[in-house]
Amino acid sequence: MALTQVSSNKCCGGYQKVFEHDSSELKCKMKFAIYLPPKAESGKCPVLYWLSGLTCTEQNFITKSGSQRAASEHGIIIVAPDTSPRGCNIEGEDESWDFGTGAGFYVDATQEPWKTNYRMYSYVTEELPRLINSNFPVDPEKMSISGHSMGGHGALICALKNPGKYKAVSAFSPICNPVQCAWGHKAFSGYLGPEKSTWEAYDATLLAASYSGPELDILIDQGREDQFLSASQLLPDNLIAACSEKKIPVVFRLQQGYDHSYFFVFSFIDDHIKHHAKYLNA
Amino acid sequence: MDLYEMRSRLQVIAEETTASEEDEENEEEDEDEFVMVRNRKLTSDPSDPPDAWCRDCSVPTHSNPSERTHTQHRVVTLNAAAQEIKSELGKRSSSLVEKITQMDNFIGNLEEIFITVEENFGRQEQNLEQHYNDVLQSLSQRFRDNSAALLDEKKLKLEALYGQLLSCGDALTASKELIEHAQELHRCDDKHAFLQTVMSSIKRMEEFSKDELELKVGVSLDFVPPPSDLTEVKHMMDSINVVPAPSAPVMNPQAVNSASPSSLRVCWSLFSDDTVDFYELYCRQISEDIATETMHDASVLRVKETHCVVKDLRPNSQYEFWVTATNTTGISPASEKAVYMTVPSPPVIRERECVSCLEAALIRWDSGNTNPVESYTLELCEDGETDNAVTESIVAIPTCECVVQLQPWKRYIITIRAVNIGGASEKSRPIRISTTGTFFHLLKETAHPILCVLDDGFTIVYPDEDLPLSDMVFSDTTFNCCVAVLGDLIPVRGRHYWEIEVDDWTEYRVGVAYEDTQRSSYLGANATSWCMRHICTPSRHKYEFLHNGWSADVRITVQPLCVGVFLDYDSSTLSFYNTHLQQHLHTFRCCFTHNVLPCFALDKPGTLRIHTGVPTPSYVTHTHT
Repeated sequence: MALTQVSSNKCCGGYQKVFEHDSSELKCKMKFAIYLPPKAESGKCPVLYWLSGLTCTEQNFITKSGSQRAASEHGIIIVAPDTSPRGCNIEGEDESWDFGTGAGFYVDATQEPWKTNYRMYSYVTEELPRLINSNFPVDPEKMSISGHSMGGHGALICALKNPGKYKAVSAFSPICNPVQCAWGHKAFSGYLGPEKSTWEAYDATLLAASYSGPELDILIDQGREDQFLSASQLLPDNLIAACSEKKIPVVFRLQQGYDHSYFFVFSFIDDHIKHHAKYLNA
Repeated sequence: MDLYEMRSRLQVIAEETTASEEDEENEEEDEDEFVMVRNRKLTSDPSDPPDAWCRDCSVPTHSNPSERTHTQHRVVTLNAAAQEIKSELGKRSSSLVEKITQMDNFIGNLEEIFITVEENFGRQEQNLEQHYNDVLQSLSQRFRDNSAALLDEKKLKLEALYGQLLSCGDALTASKELIEHAQELHRCDDKHAFLQTVMSSIKRMEEFSKDELELKVGVSLDFVPPPSDLTEVKHMMDSINVVPAPSAPVMNPQAVNSASPSSLRVCWSLFSDDTVDFYELYCRQISEDIATETMHDASVLRVKETHCVVKDLRPNSQYEFWVTATNTTGISPASEKAVYMTVPSPPVIRERECVSCLEAALIRWDSGNTNPVESYTLELCEDGETDNAVTESIVAIPTCECVVQLQPWKRYIITIRAVNIGGASEKSRPIRISTTGTFFHLLKETAHPILCVLDDGFTIVYPDEDLPLSDMVFSDTTFNCCVAVLGDLIPVRGRHYWEIEVDDWTEYRVGVAYEDTQRSSYLGANATSWCMRHICTPSRHKYEFLHNGWSADVRITVQPLCVGVFLDYDSSTLSFYNTHLQQHLHTFRCCFTHNVLPCFALDKPGTLRIHTGVPTPSYVTHTHT
């Protein structure tokens, strides 16, 4: 698994780099961004995996969220992968913005023609951590996960499906209950097929309702003026209800005036990194 | 004086006695021989030496009853007799030695007395000489005064007499001239010329004869002896053989460490020449209360020394002292008054009003004295140090409270002393302070009348049954709308943490508020308070993080049963935690313009249990670096 450095820029005392590699899981070349704080030069650091939302590449987060300063302060490596396989020449993959390229939904597809390449779940939970652990100064025991929108959905399901694997989880405007929303219907029926019971394995709200494992402290920020919130794509109330029922600790903050953009992410990223640092640096 | 001689003689005697004792001891070995010799002399029977002793006759004899002389007498063996007599001798000599010792002491005393007498007489001589000199001076002064007066009088009289003599002479000359003129006229034969001039002459003579001549001596002929008042001299003469009355003693100022709360050691001194039999020390308390103006009565103590410990006084009070000296001749004038002050009583630490945090403690106390004291001294030592030695003191504290800087994670013992001019009081009863966390009490005076603070001081209860409004007593400091109470947080800007235990359905507000937060509004509803509020709706638990009437919209899935509150002045934040989950709930970013106090309120009947002095958990401090 050879890594090719695509770019490297000094940032907040550390380095913001982008690498390219051949993914065995996705059967294509994949890029990921990694921020190495100054602390990584002298010792092992915990890793926060950031999953981006629909249409994003590894670039959006590293250029817009302003996460590097807090990551530098807390000594946390942040790894931000791309949101789907690219250039696989699958028919229809570029037809819509909410399915196919840039819309992997962090599931392992079971349906043709997606099932060969669209294995984002395995990629972000297995292949990518292995790659990071063997190529960078990381403490493999200390990883956590966060994301925005579709990436928030990805972060939540990764954490809920792998009890104990991630020390902490947080999300910005996550798609909390995809089986109940239009985006979820489109993606899940495409990647997983019409059988809805198979969808449940990738639904944060349903996963929360059956979660058992070490205590998870979930921080969720949601902009109140988020168009997708009012369009019932995100459905955070369902997740909160499930977590209240299961006594999974969630602090859900409805931030007045904020929308779905990276301006919103930028505004609260420090709180999230601090939240992760609390568990990663404990 | 032959005292020295006497003494040396006595010494000789003593030496001889000791020498004889020694001799005796030496002779003991030759005892038998000695006895034999004496026996030989007394019995004149060389062939049969005596072997016994008759006590009645004090002669040696034979134990053999052949000799009848001592039949009825007490006869003992020679050895026993010698022993007896020796011990007798020993007793006598030891009593003699004792007497010599006594004599020695007596001689010592005599010597002292001798010196004193010598000194005293020397002083007397000086006094006598001084006195006679005074008298002589006084007399010669009197002589000078009197003789000068005499001379003056003589001069005056002589001058007057001389003047009179001169005027008499003048009159005589004038008379003679007139007579001569008259005779000349009389001899004149020219009748006409005579008649022409005679009239004017007659006129002149008439005029002259009109001037009556003063023929009395113009000065008194009696010699009035000058008055001589010799009473003063007489008085001086009378007082010559008497010790002078002492002059006024001088009060010494109060010495350091000479006072206690109930007693004062008062000292004074006198002029060395004075002889004093006793002093009378007058003592009067100075009333602090100027309004009453009541003069305390002075008490009098008679003392021989130039110092006196005056007892049974009131603590932290001023007393004025003055003293007179008296001897056989009379009493001195009173000394100047000196003011002494008793030491204050120890202060009393108000344990329930002492608060602390990791780096400091605020200690409050009662003066323990009715009158104001000058200042207070705070002393602290680390608990567990072997000798509990004071490691730090803060002096000159003007009021009854003090913030003292401490080290985190230690135990301290703190005591207070009250200080005035007289010195420092005893230590107060100590208070123990542990710097493990922020420790405060509730300010009961701020509590809404319906709110009960239980005896533990940290559990607040909003009882189920409502108090009728008429039974509620409100003051300016009590909350009168929100059922709330403030905590007495130490006014040290740093980091403070405390916890509140709540029940499932308790509706509460907890947070911080400025000390002067409006008592008529709800916590969080104004700009002077920040709080977390829990509301129970039929469907769920609702949490608000309120400031100025506005709350962040936060949903919390697991309801906290113990809320941690972290106030961090350094980062200007107030954070809330679910301590059981170590979950961060909310952080206010606020610029506290002045110090805030913890606040606790119940919106519905229920109970809150406040935990103070708990260490700040690492998950709280960790994310605030």
